[in-house]
Formats: sequence, structure tokens, C-alpha cells
Amino acid sequence: MKYKSLLIFTILLTYYEGDAQARTKGIEEKVQQLTDMTAKKSIVSLNLSKFKEYVKSPPRDYSFIIMFTAMAPARRCAICQHVFDEYLIVANSFRFSPSYSNKIFFGMVDFDEGSDIFQMLRLNTAPVIMHFPAKGKPKPADSMDFERAGIHAEAIAKWIQDRTDVQIRVFRPPNYSGAVAFSMLFILVAGFLYLRRNNLEFLYNTQMWAVAAVFVCFAMVSGQMWNQIRGPPFFHKTKNGPVYINGGSHGQFVLESYIVAVLNGAVVVGMILMIEAAGGVKGDAVRVQAEGKRRRFQSVVGLVLVCVFFSLLLSVFRAKTQGYPYSFLFK
Amino acid sequence: MPSTAVPKSNNGQNRGIFKNTAGSSTLITVTVLSLAWLAGFASRLFAVIRFESIIHEFDPWFNYRSTAYMVQHGFYNFLNWFDERAWYPLGRIVGGTVYPGLMITSGTIHWILHALNIPIHIRDICVFLAPVFSGLTAIATYLLTSELWSRGAGLFAACFIAIVPGYSSRSVAGSYDNEGIAIFALQFTYYLWLKSVKSGSIFWSICTALSYFYMVSAWGGYVFIINLIPLHVFVLLIMGRFSQRLFVSYSVFYIVGLLLSMQIPFVGFQPIRTSEHMAASGVFALLMAIGALKYLHSLNPKGQWKQLLILGGMLAAAAVFLVVVLLTYMGVIAPWSGRFYSLWDTAYAKIHIPIIASVSEHQPTTWSSFFFDLHVLVCTFPVGLWYCIKNINDERVFVALYALSAVYFAGVMVRLMLTLTPVVCVLSGIAFSILLDLVLKEDDQPVLTVENDESKNLYDKAGKLKKRTHETAPPPDNGLGMNVRSGTLIAFMILLMLFSVHCTWATSNAYSSPSIVLASYGNDGSRKILDDFREAYGWLSQNTAEDARVMSWWDYGYQIAGMGNRTTLVDNNTWNNSHIALVGKAMASNESAAYEIMTMLDVDYVLVIFGGAIGYSGDDINKFIWMVRIAEGEHPKDIHEADYFTERGEYRIDTEASKTMLNCLMYKLSYYRYDSGGSPPGYDRTRGALPGNRGFKLTYLEEAYTTEHWLVRIYRVKKPDEFNRPRLPLAKRTVPTSNIISKKLSLGGGSTTSKRRKGILKNKPTVVKGKKVGRVE
Repeated sequence: MKYKSLLIFTILLTYYEGDAQARTKGIEEKVQQLTDMTAKKSIVSLNLSKFKEYVKSPPRDYSFIIMFTAMAPARRCAICQHVFDEYLIVANSFRFSPSYSNKIFFGMVDFDEGSDIFQMLRLNTAPVIMHFPAKGKPKPADSMDFERAGIHAEAIAKWIQDRTDVQIRVFRPPNYSGAVAFSMLFILVAGFLYLRRNNLEFLYNTQMWAVAAVFVCFAMVSGQMWNQIRGPPFFHKTKNGPVYINGGSHGQFVLESYIVAVLNGAVVVGMILMIEAAGGVKGDAVRVQAEGKRRRFQSVVGLVLVCVFFSLLLSVFRAKTQGYPYSFLFK
Repeated sequence: MPSTAVPKSNNGQNRGIFKNTAGSSTLITVTVLSLAWLAGFASRLFAVIRFESIIHEFDPWFNYRSTAYMVQHGFYNFLNWFDERAWYPLGRIVGGTVYPGLMITSGTIHWILHALNIPIHIRDICVFLAPVFSGLTAIATYLLTSELWSRGAGLFAACFIAIVPGYSSRSVAGSYDNEGIAIFALQFTYYLWLKSVKSGSIFWSICTALSYFYMVSAWGGYVFIINLIPLHVFVLLIMGRFSQRLFVSYSVFYIVGLLLSMQIPFVGFQPIRTSEHMAASGVFALLMAIGALKYLHSLNPKGQWKQLLILGGMLAAAAVFLVVVLLTYMGVIAPWSGRFYSLWDTAYAKIHIPIIASVSEHQPTTWSSFFFDLHVLVCTFPVGLWYCIKNINDERVFVALYALSAVYFAGVMVRLMLTLTPVVCVLSGIAFSILLDLVLKEDDQPVLTVENDESKNLYDKAGKLKKRTHETAPPPDNGLGMNVRSGTLIAFMILLMLFSVHCTWATSNAYSSPSIVLASYGNDGSRKILDDFREAYGWLSQNTAEDARVMSWWDYGYQIAGMGNRTTLVDNNTWNNSHIALVGKAMASNESAAYEIMTMLDVDYVLVIFGGAIGYSGDDINKFIWMVRIAEGEHPKDIHEADYFTERGEYRIDTEASKTMLNCLMYKLSYYRYDSGGSPPGYDRTRGALPGNRGFKLTYLEEAYTTEHWLVRIYRVKKPDEFNRPRLPLAKRTVPTSNIISKKLSLGGGSTTSKRRKGILKNKPTVVKGKKVGRVE
């Protein structure tokens, strides 16, 4: 037994030594190859053999950052594309930065090309970004946590700096799409106005402006800005069916904010109906001799709208706020 | 406040009755406004009644301290005040870095009252200043709304703003802060501006500028005014509503306001050097250009002037815009500062300025906090906006712009709910007033029946009379009818009542906690007051050396200075990010690394807030992650945020926590010798876990004081000779404690320590002595 293990050990040792000799010659070669590949494309695409050759085999003096992903449309991984875009920005910024060196290479493994690698590393999710240090095995902290850090290029760069001490200044290719869209819109509006230059009455239509202003108010008051900044889910799926209203007062779902906007809108419409039924503001005094029945009906509809939808709003608010004592019509 | 609901209804009805007599309508106005003042004042007193007349929270303590300084030393000394007690060793030039309006206001009140021989302590003035000003705000809102719509709407708006939680959140008794007086100044400036646009008189424009001056001296939010008024002018120009009145009022206001605002030391040359103010000067130049073109037009009224006017106006606008951009590019004008820039690019602060992102007031607003702060107003103010735009005129353009910009800002930042609240009150007042005006007005019927109806208001029996008249005159039956009217009235009274109960509830439960005195309620409803903060600050002021330097997280800087009267390293005026990061680094490092930083900064005491024993969630361990983030921003080599999380990225304090976390200074100071809490002794009730590192000893610090409920813990930083000296047996250790504090040199150990001491002493005088000498002179 003892001899056997010794034997195995020696065999292993000789194998490794031979291997090492074969590879130490190759280390510069490998770096050279990788550098060439990186020069063509800043992210090296890896399959099983390449992965073994460049990443797994021990004599390395460079770190490897690898993204494991599933880009094929059939895999339906929406976030993979986002992460890839950000990852590409980091890789490009590194390649064109003055601090470019052979210390780090960026790689990518697609599930459809290298499912063996996924099995080998026991990965069952994508995307994952892992760091393979120059020496030793990857630790748990060597795979990036998107949940906490986010998927922005800056976050990836910071994480890389954490792991490898290589500082990458992220340089985003300037995004002209916003400017282009804006100028397109501007040209469209200007062109439209020019075409209708003889008939600009609609600009003086206060109704249109009023509707626009009121809509802006609804959007803001129902917390669309919060949605924009925090990016909550549309609604929450649980075992007992979907939940539309967030239980806490510090959070909300997208659908919830739409519901609230509709409730607000209904109250406003109800109140305007009531005012119009009662005769409107002096400014539009030229009112038809509307029959009393219709006006009364309109007024009642408005009143019902205001009361019902406001109480609904109050109930939703009450459900979200702990210990809120008041309600109206509904519990 | 039921008392406010009553005047509201009274107002609507009485206007119908006393329509003809000017005297009674004035009487009603005065009565309603004074009742609103009273209700607003009373609803802000919860904190005083429950606790005591005390200054709240953090920033008010600084305001109070500087007010007291000003009252004691006079105004000019206050302007020249160099505070060596803050930001040790840098100090702070208070006079030049503060908006002095608040201090001047309460100082003036103090001076007047003392001139009248009413001996009142300055603290009481500070505590009750904001509630008193809420009444003035109500009056200013009344005036503003009357300019916009009608006096009835003004009364509604005044009642709303007197009690609405969105405003009372910043103006309860004891919350002695800039916002308390600034909202009044804001509303009053807007009122005067509308007045001057309407009349075009120089008098009103000068008044606007003066009121604007007061606003500039009171609050940094004056930038809102100096951008909104030019926006108003600009939109009026686009709408083709240029007039001589507009020209006079804006040019006078702009020039006088500019000169006045530059008199505030803190503002200085900013109005002509920063981007935030450039809109105002750009619009001024544009207005001048258009005024010149109009003048040329008046010389020769014939010819193709219209096209020239439009073209010239556009060219002038483009030229002004280009000049501003060019100047910014050349560096003559400073670009937008981070705080303002983050309002547009909402992701900016999160990435670049963690210290701004870390403040909870700077988070975006959910719909429920809109509803919490405004209640029924949130779904009625669009009605007012609708009718303002439908019946547009020069002033209503202003209120529409005000509403739209404020609602956007409030959506981005919870704190700016404060600027939205007044305009929401104005617009809701308009909406309610339109509706109730119509509902309470009688149908178009012969005069006789109207009189009948009026008597019906007073006597029950007449209700039948009205019905009879309806039956007798069926053909012109186009009114709403009694049932619908009274139904509407009842429903809206209920809504308004719900509103006033909600306001009282919200003010009482959410906004009336002084936060330096905590209250906890037992199962039987008994109340227990936790006065740990003042206990600790009191200990500091009684038991430490006069010039002792206390290190704590910046949240507590103002309180330590205000109550403990000791020198702090960082405080709530977060002007020096790197200094804050240094403190954060000390808290996040292990003991020996932290000791180096602390000796470098001459720290004598360290103060931490620990809520584990009573389950107080706002303590330092919960804030700790921000300290780490801010420290990492400045020292990325030494501090890594990821080290403080577990492998799975959780923030924990029990045995699963990361090693760095368990050994950092903040952790050790919080859990040192901790054995109180829950069922297993040493249980942390805030985090709901047993701390992972227990029973450890401190090498470089020693516990100096811990308050009754473990809330505040104070540690003394040992001098180098104390932990390096040879260990004495217990029997020989009879050194009185006062000697330890007074740093006896004779106790020094070997040669290495004396060397170390020398090093420290060498550095110290160069920094401190110069300042001290300066102060003495």
C-alpha cells in the first residue's frame, strides 16, 4: 500500500515535472497567443480545449477573468446580454488604457459551446463572472456577486481591482442615442409645426396643455420616479398567486404605482365632473341650458367616483402603513 | 384639528350670506386666518407636551449653538466666528459657511422681547420659532392664493398649509431649522412676485427683491426661486405675453435681488459664478433684447416687424445660451454642483457621491409617502391645476410651472416634498373653493326663492319651502337640486375631516419625536423615557478635559458640540469628505490600525451609539456600511467593502460574520463587555442575533462611560505609555483616575515610549498653538 502510493506519487511528480517543462517553454508562447487574440478581440472566446490550455493548466503568470454566459436566443437569458455589454465595456477600456498589460486577460464561455466547462465548475446559473487568479484556485469571493454590486461596468471594474489590484478606468463609448433621439424629436416637432404653420391654433388649446400637466402630476405622485431609480419588479409572484401591492411603506411595485395613478385619476375626473355639472368656472360661462336631470346625474357620478376611489386609495394606503387607524367606506 | 374643519365650512357658507358687506368678509378672513394660525401652532406642540421644550435632532443643535453664540457675542463677532471646536484640527469658519437668516430672526425676536423687558431664554424662542412661523406661512399662502384665484380659495389654502404633514414635518416645536422660516419666505416672495407682475410697479418689485434677500439669508433652497421666476418670465415670453409690466418687474427684481443676495457671506460671488444662477441672467439678457426690439418696433409700427421680432428673439436666446456654455467651458462659471446635478441625472449621486446618497432624505419618493404627507390634497390638486390652465393668465402660468417643477423634484428627493407642499395646498384650495362655491351658490332662480333659501339655512322648516318652489316652477329646472347639493356637501365635509384627523395623526406619530429623547411603551401602556443621549453628553461635559477631542460618526457631531461642549472631528456639516473618510477608516480598521489614525488626529475619546440592548435601529452598526463605503472611496487600498460581508454577501454580526467585521473598531466598541439584552446575555435585539466575537479585551482603548440602556458608549483612547508599561500587580495599582486623565508623564515606561510621546508633542503645538493664540487675541 505504502509502496503503491509512493509509486503513484513519483509518477505524478515526474508527470508534473515533464509537463511543467513542456509548459514553461509555453508560458511566453501562451501569453503571446493570448495577446494576439486580445488584439483582435478584447474578449477571448473559450471552448473546452482552450479553457484547459489557457486557464486550467498551472503555469500561468496572468489572471483570467471569465464570464460564463448563455447568449443563444433559445436560452432566453435577458440579463446575459446586458452583462455582456457592460463586460465588453470593461474589457475594451482595459485594452485601450495606458495601463494595459499581460497581467489580465478577459475571456468568455458560452454555455452552448462549452457546457463541459459548466459541468466541470459545477455552475448551473448564468451569467457568472469569475476570476482565475495567477496562483491558486478561485475562492468563493472570486465569482462576482451581481446582487450586491450590480452589473454596471464600474462595478465590474471595481471588483476586478479588488481581486487583482489592476485599476481599470472605465471608458464608456459616448452614448449618442439619447442625443440623436432628442434631435430627431426636435426636428419632427419643428417640421410638424412648420407644415402646419398656417393653422397653429391647437397650440393655444388649453385643454391639451391641461391634460398634459395633469398627467405629469399623476406620474410623479404615483412614484414613477422611484420606479425609474430603484427598478422594482412589475409585481411579485408568490405561491399563493401574484401580489400587486408591496406590503411595506418603503417599497412599491410598478403595477402598484399604475393602480395608484388610476385611482388618483378617477378622483380627479370625478371632481371635474362635479364642477362642470354644477356650472363650471366663470370663464366658460357660456353653458347650454342643459337639462337638470343630466346635470344631476353627472354630479352624482362624480361624487361616487370621488368617494369610492378615494376610499380605495385610503384602504391601499392603510394596508401598507402599519397602525394607520382611519378608513372611509371600505376597511 | 377639528377646529380647522369648522372655519372651512363656515367660510363657504358665510360668503354666501355676507356677500355684500365688506366688513364681515374681512372679519371672517381675519377669524379664519387666526384660527388657522392657532391650529397650526397647537398641532406642532406634541413634542413639547410629551417630552419637554427641547431642541430636536442634529442640525437644530448647531443652529441653536450659533444663535446662542450670536446673542451672547453680538452679530459682528458671529460673522467672524472661527469655531475651533469643530472639524479638529481644521476648524470651521462659521460666519462664512452658514445661512444666517435663522439666527438673525430669533436673535431679533430675543432682542425685541428683552427691550420690552420680557425675560425669555433664547432656547424657548428657538423651540417655538417654527410653529409661530407656520402661521405666517399660512397668511402668505392666503395672499398668494388670493392673487391667483379668490379669497375663498386663499382661506382654504391657508387652512391646508397650517396643518398639512408635509410642512409640519419640518416645523414642529423644537425643530429649529432653516426650512421652518424658509417656506414662509418662499411663499411670501412668490406672492410679491405675482403682485409685481400684475401691477408692474417698481415698489412691488423691490419688495420681492427684499423678500428674496431674506430667503437667501435663510436657506439654500433660494436657488429654486431664482430659477423658477426666470422660467416664468421665459415661458411668458414664449407665449407672447411680453409686457412693460413684466419688463419692469423682472429687471428690477433681478438686479436688486442679485446685489442683495451677494451680501450674504456664504453666497458671495456665486450668483455670477455658478451654473445654478445662470438661467436668471440669461433670461435677463433675453428680456433686454426683446425689450429693445419692441422699442424699435414702436418707432416704426409699419413693416415686417413680426418676423424680425421672432427671429431676433430666437437669435438672442441662442446667443445667450452659447455664451453661457462657452463661459462654463472656459471655467469662468462653475458647472452644476453635485447636489443639484443629482436632481437631473438621478444615478449620479449613487455612483459618485456616497455621502449624499447615504442620507435618507435624499432618496426618491414612493407614492405612499406622497399620500402620507398630503392625504386628500394629493388627488385634488390636479383639479386646481386643470382649472388654472384652462383659465390661464400671467399669474396662473406661474403656479402651473411651480406645480410641475416642484412635483418633479419631490419625486426625485423625499426632502423636496417641502417645496411641493405649499403649491399643492394652493391648488387644492382652489379646487375645493371652486366646487364648494358652486354647490353652495343657489340655482339661477327668481330672487324671492333665493331669499327663501337663505332663511332655510338658518331654520329647519324652510327646507320644505324650497321643495315647494321647485314644484311650482318646473320649467327652468336646470339646477342640481337639494339632495345632490347636500350629499356633495356632506361627502366633502367628511373628506376634509378625514384630512384634518390624518394630519393630526401624522404629525403626532411620525414627526414629533425629538430623537434625542426616546420613548418606549410597555405592554400595559406605560411610558418609559430613554434619556441616554443627554446622559452621555452631560457626562462628557462634566468629566472630560475642556479641550478633549471626541471622535464619533458625523451624525453626532453637532450634538456633542451643542450639548457636550467638546471638540469634534467631523459633524453634520459634511464639507470635508476626506476628513469624514478618515474617521470612517478608523472605525472600519482593526484596533491597532485605528490607534494610529486616532493618535494622528489627537483623539481623546471615542463615542459610539449602540442600540442592541433596547432594539434601537438607528445605531452605528447599522450605519456602519456607509462608513465603510465612504472610507473606501478615499482609501481604496486599505478598506474593501466586500470584506465586511459574509461570503454570501450578507451583512451579519454573529459567528458567521467575516473576520474583518468581527475585529474592526466599531464592532469591538459596540460589543465590548456587552452582556445585557435578551434571554441569552449579550443578545443583540436590533439585529436579532448573538454577536460573534465576545469576551475580547481592548488594548488601546478603555471604557470610560456607558449609559443606562447601553445606547451611548464612550471610550477613552489610552496614551502610548499606558498600554506599553510593565504590568503592575493589582495591589499596587492605586493610581487615582484623575491622574490618568491628566496624562502624568512620570508614569512613562521605557525609552521607546518617551520617543513616541515626543513625536506626538512635536506635531501638536504647530497646529494647535497658532489657533489658540489667535483666539486669545
